Amino acid sequence: MNDTAITSSVSVPGKRDSSLMRRIAKNRSIYLMILPGFLYFAIFKYIPMSGLVIALQDYQPYLGITGSPWVGLKHFERLFNDPMFFTILRNTLFLFTMNLVIYFPVPILIAVMLNEVRHHLFKRFVQTLIYIPHFMSWVIIVSISFVMLSMDRGLINEVFSMMGLEKINFLMSNEWFRPMYILQVIWREAGWGTIIYLAAMAAIDPQLYEASRMDGANRFRQIWHITLPSIRSVIVVLLILKIGDVLELGFEHIFLLLNSMNREVAEIFDTYVYTAGLKQGQFSFSTAVGFFKSVVGLVLIMAANWLAKKAGEEGVY
Amino acid sequence: MKSRKKRVHLLLTGLTTLALLAGCGGNAGNGGTGAAGSENAGQADGTDSSKKGPVKITMIATLHTPEVPSDKIEKLLEEKTNTELDIQWVPQGSYDDKVNASFATGTLPMAVNTGLIFFRDAIRNGQFWEIGPYLEQFPNLKNLKPEVLKNTSVDGKIYSLYQERPLSRQGVIYRKDWADNLGLQAPKTIDDIYNMAKLFTEKDPDKNGANDTIGLADRNDMIYGAFKTVSSYFGTPNGWGEQDGKLMPEFMFPEYMDTMKFIQKLHKEGLINKDFPVTSKTDQRNLFISGKAGLYIGSLPDVVGLLEKAVEINPNAKMDVQNRIEGPKGVGIWSIPGYAAVVLFPKSSVKSEEQLKDVLAFYDKLMSPELANLMQYGIEGEHYTIKDGKVIPSTDTKLTEREVKPYAAVAIGGPRTIQMLESNYSTPEKAKAEELVKDNDNILINDPTAPLDSKTFNEQGTRLQEIIKDATYQFMLSSIDEAGFKAQVDRWLKEGGQQIIDEYNASYQKGN
Repeated sequence: MNDTAITSSVSVPGKRDSSLMRRIAKNRSIYLMILPGFLYFAIFKYIPMSGLVIALQDYQPYLGITGSPWVGLKHFERLFNDPMFFTILRNTLFLFTMNLVIYFPVPILIAVMLNEVRHHLFKRFVQTLIYIPHFMSWVIIVSISFVMLSMDRGLINEVFSMMGLEKINFLMSNEWFRPMYILQVIWREAGWGTIIYLAAMAAIDPQLYEASRMDGANRFRQIWHITLPSIRSVIVVLLILKIGDVLELGFEHIFLLLNSMNREVAEIFDTYVYTAGLKQGQFSFSTAVGFFKSVVGLVLIMAANWLAKKAGEEGVY
Repeated sequence: MKSRKKRVHLLLTGLTTLALLAGCGGNAGNGGTGAAGSENAGQADGTDSSKKGPVKITMIATLHTPEVPSDKIEKLLEEKTNTELDIQWVPQGSYDDKVNASFATGTLPMAVNTGLIFFRDAIRNGQFWEIGPYLEQFPNLKNLKPEVLKNTSVDGKIYSLYQERPLSRQGVIYRKDWADNLGLQAPKTIDDIYNMAKLFTEKDPDKNGANDTIGLADRNDMIYGAFKTVSSYFGTPNGWGEQDGKLMPEFMFPEYMDTMKFIQKLHKEGLINKDFPVTSKTDQRNLFISGKAGLYIGSLPDVVGLLEKAVEINPNAKMDVQNRIEGPKGVGIWSIPGYAAVVLFPKSSVKSEEQLKDVLAFYDKLMSPELANLMQYGIEGEHYTIKDGKVIPSTDTKLTEREVKPYAAVAIGGPRTIQMLESNYSTPEKAKAEELVKDNDNILINDPTAPLDSKTFNEQGTRLQEIIKDATYQFMLSSIDEAGFKAQVDRWLKEGGQQIIDEYNASYQKGN
């Protein structure tokens, strides 16, 4: 018993080492191919992470990381004690939930609809048309909506007043910020989002549809029993990735929509970091907020992945 | 979907970064070699032969034009000052980043044109030369105004030279033809402004038979838009004011409330564009240019560009400018601290006192009338001619933009400190606007906190100011009332405002 334990604990690692080395030597060309990717992640993703230590310092550029004083959790305390903290957290989570519940199903819906279109040219035409907005910057999209929604001769408000309706203050109200936000997200991203679903649908075996038709399934039954189940794993993976992006709501987009009249519902972590941190050269505080955000994102993605696995799906790792 | 999007983003980011790196690399390369070379040269000069060969001076300056200027004027400057210049031109958009990056990596040149606030801590830390004691030794530098230098001081010591700007350009621009149509005189009081806005809105000033005009066009800027200027008319202090010997922020004064009520009234009655808190400068200008609005409160010299564009649309458009609008407490106008940017001298690149004196001597020469004119107007006969003792700039604006204009970013001082040539203005509107800008000097309201320092303000001031900005807009758009505004001021006090007040007052007492 003792003997075997000792021998195994001593010899096995050695053996494993040598065999690992041998394996690497044997497959060196394959390992060489991994190298650029490995270096990329090491240099651009992992090494920069060490910069997070400035969240625990009062970082001053001219003193550098080595010279700046250590202050422990001061910046995290400031964040959690900030009176705006819960407003910001609430706004961030609310917008995220809207993204998940309202935006996320839209590309699936569109993909299913496009998949049913038999006229090939028309399908491709529509597909192209609806993903073009993805290539527009938020600045353009928000500017267009300002022109449309303004109270001073905005197109939509002009139509309202012609119809004898009251003008609506879309741009500067707490009530209209969220609908405006999510509609803009859908307009810009939904078309682009269909691409992967359409690709997944193209891979479905046509025999399945044929068989179901033999059994008398109509179009809706076919969608429900064949199309959707076939792309289920794709949906789950994208859902998990989406959840991982929980706090990435798009700084640029929200920053452009944000103003004094809707700050109560529009301020999120990114915009807050910008005004409270970066604009005043508070690098350490900004880092602390960013770090907190990433941790929340990580926890959520792990939870989602765990749930997906529980439900018998594959997950992302 | 997301991952693909990410990848595309990544690719784009990658490409942009590469492009930027390439650009920066070029710059950095130039600057780097320049700096290194200069150090050697400078040291050699400083120790062995400070008076013999030309002194090498490196600097970084903002480029406001699309192209780096030709070296024609630089050559002349070098010749006249016996120096070898190495100017690193950085476009305005990326200037601050470039300066911060150079600072963080210890590669700043010998003279740095910059804002001051960002470097206050570093200045305290001894990273820059204190130049106050040397200024007296130089015939031109000693003309720099003590009151402006005080505004650039840190803990009462002077570390920088400054670039002069007009103290207050603020005033009212209005459609003269509309006023004439309605028989209105130039506005003299704040009531006149209200009256003009009301009649411009209701009495069809453009005589087109449609109810399609408003009074005032404003934008999403409380400082350079209408708000701060109108608040001056009501007698609000500039940023901070003294009350019973104690400094208090402007929004705790009743005059601030009066200003908000005034704008609120304009808004309620539809005399101002409804979306002004989110209106961009371009849109604001367009409202005014296209004849939708008849009043514009802001920078007076803007009248030139506004009129040029307005005449393209309506050849009959006329504009006039006005200042000294009288409020309940008389006249007054807020002013900037008297400088646009300062020039700092890092100890990392200016190694010795000798070297510092060389650099200061160079700037002293730049402040001589001859060189100041050269940098402002260019070469006589080439970039301008002189008529009746006044400068008439060349009509070839492309030439002056390429060869002259960028050097304004290097010059220090200005017309108040140097006997410079005066320019002949192209249009009567421009001439009048410039005259009013000068006249504003007689009625200035200063910001007493300009030379003061508050740690809490440096750290949290911007965020706290957002509270007040939000509350001000909310009040003006009638979504909160007076009590609601007071509540926000209390919030400001509680979240750090009280500390700012205390720190400014402590700093104020120390200074007096």
